[in-house]
Amino acid sequence: MIERLRVATILVLVLLGLFFTFVSTTGVLRLPDVYSRAHTASQADTLGAGFTLAAVALALGWGTTSYKTVLLLFFIFVTNPTAAHAISRAADEEGIEPWTTDDDRTDEDLLDASQMETDGGDRRGDQQ
Amino acid sequence: MSDDRLLVPVADTPTVRQTVESAVKTALGDSEGYVRFVYVHSPDSSREEEDPTVDPPVKETTEFLNRVVVWARDDAGDREGDLTVETARLGFDDYLFSPEDVAEVLIEDGTAHDVDRVVLDPEYDPGVGAPFLRPLEYELAKFPGLDVEEAPVQARARRTPLLAGSTPIQAGALFFVSFAFYQVLAGTLELFDVVTGAVSATIVAVGLARVTFHTDPTFASLGRTLRLVVYLPYLLYEILKANVQVAAVILHPRLPIDPRLTRVRAAVWGGLPVTTLANSITLTPGTLSVRVDGRTLTVHTLVPAAREGLFDGGLERGVRFVFYGRDAMQIASPRERNDTRVLQPPDEAETTDGNDSEGDVAKLNETGGDGANSNGGDSR
Repeated sequence: MIERLRVATILVLVLLGLFFTFVSTTGVLRLPDVYSRAHTASQADTLGAGFTLAAVALALGWGTTSYKTVLLLFFIFVTNPTAAHAISRAADEEGIEPWTTDDDRTDEDLLDASQMETDGGDRRGDQQ
Repeated sequence: MSDDRLLVPVADTPTVRQTVESAVKTALGDSEGYVRFVYVHSPDSSREEEDPTVDPPVKETTEFLNRVVVWARDDAGDREGDLTVETARLGFDDYLFSPEDVAEVLIEDGTAHDVDRVVLDPEYDPGVGAPFLRPLEYELAKFPGLDVEEAPVQARARRTPLLAGSTPIQAGALFFVSFAFYQVLAGTLELFDVVTGAVSATIVAVGLARVTFHTDPTFASLGRTLRLVVYLPYLLYEILKANVQVAAVILHPRLPIDPRLTRVRAAVWGGLPVTTLANSITLTPGTLSVRVDGRTLTVHTLVPAAREGLFDGGLERGVRFVFYGRDAMQIASPRERNDTRVLQPPDEAETTDGNDSEGDVAKLNETGGDGANSNGGDSR
């Protein structure tokens, strides 16, 4: 009985992980520009990987390998936002303008527009 | 002569007095002179003060710079009239990460004030970066058209080797943490693992303690770690909640997103708290930290719900709880403090629900650059 419950939980966790990874992929394909794609590429992935790793930990049982998956999860949680921040910050330094709802340009137009700028998109002084 | 325009970065070092003297002497060489003393703020210099209206180090720095000006006038003696002294504080709103960043700020300021010579205190260390990054002198020297010289001071700089500079407490704490981590990975606690773990942890502790800790870890840091453990489930819950919201938006046939860039001035100070907050914001779907300047976060928000959540400051309270304790959680949300601003407002009036912050937007706009503008110094 307990064994069956365990297998069921593992299945549910793997399916949830799959679902969020699927959402993440869909988001990368559907969203309009680099910033919103960075949202979904890292974020839904965090949860997707999270659920999958939880399933792995449960499947392996209580032992050295299973708490290593917890460590893995921890490192994903530290590195994932760092990567997303690095991508969006790089985009910002390039001067790529975030897309808004009243904008009818595509992401490629936005990239082209950023390369038109001659100052290299340095935002350091834009607060004044 | 333009050669007599000097830029002197100062900090509270043993040799700063002599540096000032030598800079004044150089500046007054044969005619009138101009010296600009600048204080560069490191990210950690803004410590953990809890009053969101006061940036703590301002007072001390101003006093220090005033002292420098008094010294400079003393050194000029009866030629005081020939000497122009200015002071400035730099890097207050920037997050200066490496000596390269510091060099960049110094160059920028120097160029703006037509300075072509930098006098460095040999002991000067802006408190930024790690020992294995290239030092400030090197980064400054990369820019042509700017002479860099060290002030000739009596007490020669002690060149500290890479391994020194950390305290036993720092090394001990790092040893303990890396040893524990090693044993967790090994998982057996056999003699072989204990011995190899001790050897590796010693190497790590001696080599990296100075990089890992800026100050000695105390019991407060232990309390912080424990509170972080309490914070994590809350963060996980927020991530889960926001993930479902964003997943619904992404899978929605019409893709009802409303991305906007926003800016929030967070009521947390210092490198680690701001990093924790920025990372938590990025981990939560729908909000993404694009840029961090001091404690001003530029955040890209994907949907209005995420934006509201950001302005309500739930994560900010969590981070305050971790670093400043439970009492610090009782703080007005960024929206109530007028610390929020939508950088890309829609063309028409705000349509998102309950937005009463139109006036606030203008207000933050006004105060947004205060750190940068308050540089302008005390000239005579």
